Amino acid sequence: MKKAKRLTALALSAVFTMTVILTACSSDEGSPENQSGVKPPKDGEQVTLKFSFWGDTIEKKTVTEALKRFEQETGIIVEPMHVPSDYLTKLTTMVAGNVAPDLGYLSSGAALTWAEDGKLLNLTPLIESDPDFKKEDYLDQIWYDYAPGKTIGMSTAVEGYGLMYNKDMLLDAGVELPPTEAGKAWDWDTFIEYSKKLTLDDTGKNALDPAFNPNKIKQYGFQYDPYNMMAAVVSNGGNFLTEDGKGFGLVEPEAIEAIQKLADLMYVHHVSPTPLQTKSLPDMALQTKKVAMTVSGNWALQAFAEQDFNLGVGVLPKLKDSNTLLDGAPTVIFSSTKHPAEAWLLYKYMADPESVLPLIAGGLWMPLKKAWYTDPELISKWASGNKAHPEGYTESFMKQTLENGIRTPGFEVKNLAKINALVTPALDLVWTGKETAEQALKGVEPKVEPLIQGYYGR
Amino acid sequence: MLSSLLLSFTDYRIVNTPKFIGFDNYTRLFDGTDQYFYNSLAVTFKYVILRVPLGLMFSFIVAFLLNMEFIRGKSIFRTIFYLPVIVPAVASSMIWIWLFSPDLGLFNSFLEALGLPTLNWLYSEETVVPSIVLMSLWGMGSTIIIFLAGLQGVPRSLYEAAIVDGAGAMRKFLHITIPMMTPIIFFNLIMGSIGAFQVFTEALIMTQGGPNNASLFYNYYIYREAFLFGEMGHASAIAWILFIIILIVTAIFFRTSKSWVFYESEV
Repeated sequence: MKKAKRLTALALSAVFTMTVILTACSSDEGSPENQSGVKPPKDGEQVTLKFSFWGDTIEKKTVTEALKRFEQETGIIVEPMHVPSDYLTKLTTMVAGNVAPDLGYLSSGAALTWAEDGKLLNLTPLIESDPDFKKEDYLDQIWYDYAPGKTIGMSTAVEGYGLMYNKDMLLDAGVELPPTEAGKAWDWDTFIEYSKKLTLDDTGKNALDPAFNPNKIKQYGFQYDPYNMMAAVVSNGGNFLTEDGKGFGLVEPEAIEAIQKLADLMYVHHVSPTPLQTKSLPDMALQTKKVAMTVSGNWALQAFAEQDFNLGVGVLPKLKDSNTLLDGAPTVIFSSTKHPAEAWLLYKYMADPESVLPLIAGGLWMPLKKAWYTDPELISKWASGNKAHPEGYTESFMKQTLENGIRTPGFEVKNLAKINALVTPALDLVWTGKETAEQALKGVEPKVEPLIQGYYGR
Repeated sequence: MLSSLLLSFTDYRIVNTPKFIGFDNYTRLFDGTDQYFYNSLAVTFKYVILRVPLGLMFSFIVAFLLNMEFIRGKSIFRTIFYLPVIVPAVASSMIWIWLFSPDLGLFNSFLEALGLPTLNWLYSEETVVPSIVLMSLWGMGSTIIIFLAGLQGVPRSLYEAAIVDGAGAMRKFLHITIPMMTPIIFFNLIMGSIGAFQVFTEALIMTQGGPNNASLFYNYYIYREAFLFGEMGHASAIAWILFIIILIVTAIFFRTSKSWVFYESEV
């Protein structure tokens, strides 16, 4: 009897354990969050599309309004599905449960692999048969091709990188303002010198002073998320993979040199906070004068515009070539859609800068269409005369993105998530000052090599 | 549950039709082709071994103190200790990120004030797991409540008899409280271990498995394989191994329980 009792208890706890483990993996979260405004179809031909997206409240509002306008203009009903967090988990579950939306945002890694498995629509035939759509009208770097000649579409928005700074701090320190033209970009030594001038310890000495105390820094010259090191790598002539796509590019001398130079900003020159020190900085480090200059993507301008300080922008300091990084997750059409033609209509509508103008003028996004970078009338609609786009923006961000924008590896490197699962811990060692770039990256190279599968569409 | 067992023998990446590949998912784990398996096992065991005994001791002591007759405002304390349980894990993780902050955090300010060296808490390979253990103690409210209920169920007649026999506080504790509580301790041991093996939110919100995979907890590893890499079949295999591990650990506890768990009804 006693034994039976124990066995029952054991069995019960086993079942309990398994339930707990599995609920995490199999929970059905397929139901849309937002089903507002959906009317029953008037007749058999009424088309309803579901559009899924993420984003903050401003983005939610703008996108929802754009979808609404599309609905009014075309009579096609659109269900917005806003997923503020855990987006990929939710979409994965929906796709697995065969209730995928018709179209929506998707992270680049998932998009490219899902496209290979046929879960996303190849847009090439739609583009080629559409007289109203010219691929050349859009930036060249924003296309996500999963195979040569096969595309899943464009970035949802363009996100160029640049230098952002607190103008007052630079003026106070007597530092020349960062150039806004590619041809005049600071070289690395100039950049380090100015960064040192802007880095102060608790007694007010800057990092050029021999008596400077690097353990008591109260103001940093420069702050940057070093994991975003690709701009420096590419500026130095390197890349994530080798040109032929067969080798691990980050172990090439150009890449190692660039990565080491970023680490040296923290551990040799003491002008930049380590990842650890960054955790202690406030979000508004520029505004509160904890940091003088920072590198970030265009989206940061939206938040900066809401803060009250004298924001300036410039081009990134260069190693060899002046360039910028270009990022942005794609919007895709799922192949399970029953209405590809209507989905494509909506796709075009959302890719039109005019449809989402508040996000562009507000500083979160950069437009997808080339004309918005070249036509003064269109430029004046978003890139000048507002707080999110300070003086010099049109050169340092807009022109630089158009002319010298390099795609992040997410656009084209196969198997990137798995490679990064190895590279990121290796870089942890570099950014925490435990190993040199060469030691860490060469150390992980043998593990990375078997995972390299080359490039998508090139 | 059954389907996940089946999936664990397939190559299933959500977007394709599952393809049967036998034990491949499992051999990939055990022969080291999958570079994170042993790492995440080690990390998780380290967490379990630290967290389960500490958690039991901590909550038992708190429950014991809360059960003392002379403590005032007991209900307030009881509420305070239970409160963290109803705070969403995400919110409490955010609070703890702030507490652990190396420069501005409460803990380091405290250490500094005492003239002790500060720690990097979540941001160093050595301290990240102990930090998360420390954090988990804060959320032990349910365990404390269960202990408290158990403590209140110990018959007062036993204590009265002991006092008559001239036993001191320590003897009462060791010879009455502890033995009478063993079934509750046993229950909390099992539940605590199962819970500890499944630690997840902290890794997801606070560390993403870093630095250098030092907090790559098993469940986070499953999540990453499944939802970031899309390897559902592989993730199912990993999940099943955890299930078997927990089953074995639980079975061992049940086996040994005979020698130390005391059931009143079985006297």
